[in-house]
Amino acid sequence: MDLLPQLLLAGMVIGSIYALAALGFVLIYKSSRVINFAHGQIIATGAFLAFALTQRGVNFWLAGLIAMLATFLLGLLIERVFLRRMVGEPIIAVIMVTIGLSSVIDGLIHLTPYGAGSFSFQTPAVLSGAGLEVFGTPLSRTQIAGVLAALGLLGALTYFFNRSTLGITMRAVADDQLAAMSVGTSVERVFALAWAAAGLTAAAAGVILGLLSGLTLGGLAGIGLKVFPVVILGGLDSVIGAIVGGMLIGILENLSAGYLDAIVPGGGTRDVFPFIVLIAVLLLRPYGLFGTKEIERV
Amino acid sequence: MPASRLTQTGNYRTRYTQDQTIFATAAEQLSLIVFVLLLLTLPLLLPKTLLRDVNLIMIYAVAVIGLNVTTGYTGLINIGQAAFMGVGAYATALAATRLNLPFFLAIPLGGVVAALIGTLVGLPSLRLKYLYLAIATLAFQIIFEWTVGHLPVLQQGSAISLPTVQVFGIRDTFLNHNAFWYYIILPVLVLMALLWRNVLRTRHGRALIAVRDNDRAAAAMGIHPGTAKLTAFLLGSFYAGIAGGLFAYFQKAVVIEDYGLHVSVQLLAMAIVGGLGSLPGSFLGPLFIVALDRSMEALSGWLGAQNLFPEGVDVATALRPLAFGLTIMLFLMFEPRGLANWWRLTRLYFKRWPYKF
Repeated sequence: MDLLPQLLLAGMVIGSIYALAALGFVLIYKSSRVINFAHGQIIATGAFLAFALTQRGVNFWLAGLIAMLATFLLGLLIERVFLRRMVGEPIIAVIMVTIGLSSVIDGLIHLTPYGAGSFSFQTPAVLSGAGLEVFGTPLSRTQIAGVLAALGLLGALTYFFNRSTLGITMRAVADDQLAAMSVGTSVERVFALAWAAAGLTAAAAGVILGLLSGLTLGGLAGIGLKVFPVVILGGLDSVIGAIVGGMLIGILENLSAGYLDAIVPGGGTRDVFPFIVLIAVLLLRPYGLFGTKEIERV
Repeated sequence: MPASRLTQTGNYRTRYTQDQTIFATAAEQLSLIVFVLLLLTLPLLLPKTLLRDVNLIMIYAVAVIGLNVTTGYTGLINIGQAAFMGVGAYATALAATRLNLPFFLAIPLGGVVAALIGTLVGLPSLRLKYLYLAIATLAFQIIFEWTVGHLPVLQQGSAISLPTVQVFGIRDTFLNHNAFWYYIILPVLVLMALLWRNVLRTRHGRALIAVRDNDRAAAAMGIHPGTAKLTAFLLGSFYAGIAGGLFAYFQKAVVIEDYGLHVSVQLLAMAIVGGLGSLPGSFLGPLFIVALDRSMEALSGWLGAQNLFPEGVDVATALRPLAFGLTIMLFLMFEPRGLANWWRLTRLYFKRWPYKF
């Protein structure tokens, strides 16, 4: 069993989840220029909600769908209650509101029995059989399903943005808010929709991640930080960038874990390597691979 | 001149030197004297546990002044202030344990090291603005935590204990620990605050504000925005380093958990709750956040005893982030200028009394 293909595949599995998480982040940034530090907590909310439902005996797939619907509504609610007031405020205020929000959601999850422990989904029967072998590397059915679900969602959203009227409206708002308003687009509705869609993808990412590597609040909310290297690499406002960046960061961090851990005393380079990439990208190409160039020198 | 120097209600300044004083009116000077006397006798008045919190508040205030220099006055969002504190703390600890420096040299050395590293981290600010810079400092915070966790010379993040300190023949013992450090931290805080207050009056200080408000206009007036931003990072991280060194000595040990991402967020929250870009806010913010934290601890202790929550729920770990997050959000939504604004209004009220305007 070769190390390289194994690392690449593992990287792609985790990378597809990063991509899904980053997509929600990019959606919000692209439409409203808001950096959402609470994204990891929304992911955790979706995952734990689905888990709580399966604990009550709800079918896994149905629970996942309900969780996605719930975070869809949660996104709407957050935008309506908190972010709409922050339009036109300085960036630090907007950033701190989402940081405060992440703290609040953290606290709320800690009020449920799910805050401190670690849990795992009961793997549905369809996914528990023997998996495939790709390039001599075994992949479990859960992993394959996770990647397929992530890719499916990403594809559907890309299609939505390129083909549907609503998607095109959202892109129009992202490109030029004033121009979009002047042709009669409701910018507020688009912001709300972006938050809702971000919530939806967040729950999906949470459920897939929970299925693959278990549910802990720290682990799920931690994805909210991993999103930063991904979106900086891909470009903060690019949907394609989120997907490519997610895959790249997933692969890079697995490669570093595979090859650098032996060299670095103590190992664990997986946790820090993406952020070193982030710094490098910021210095060399701050707008990322696919982002809009808006950086100016001083 | 007014009838009495203590009841004057307007400005009666006729010379530039009068205009340049920090504490202008007689009432201000009198209240300052009372306040200083109160501060000096505080360890006698307060119970020991509260005195410990007062010390923490003062240390955080030093770090928050620094954060205000970068974020409040210069507008560079810094999510890595706790990491700069950590750099200072570890440098201080190494200086004290390896080089056997006394604390009054080790702490400034920590500040200088933090300032150097801070300036390096600030380098991306030459190219990046706003958000990107925020993310760069966030990345530094995470890289810092990871690096400390992996360096054998820093005990991989577990405790490095610091030597006991002796000043004027008085040793820092278990019994007088809080009062002892109170009398060290207080002068340092006053010194650092006055330092910033006076830097602010120089052209370097005003350059920072000009860059925050509009860096292109500042450039047009002959200010080099890049230099100003690096100055802000240099000063801001120097303050953080001093705070880190004080914190290390006060806690008697350096542990990585004290300088984590959550501390950076807390410092930012203190700066915002206090009021960004305001010196009084740099004291009020830490006071408010630490007081909130303690009262939430007390509240959750009481709630925990009531058996209201299901098994396995730790009320304290839930209530503290909840209250903390809500505080930030409510302040940003309803009082973005922070407690400093209330402070200003209160002062104005007394200054203008009995008039309302």
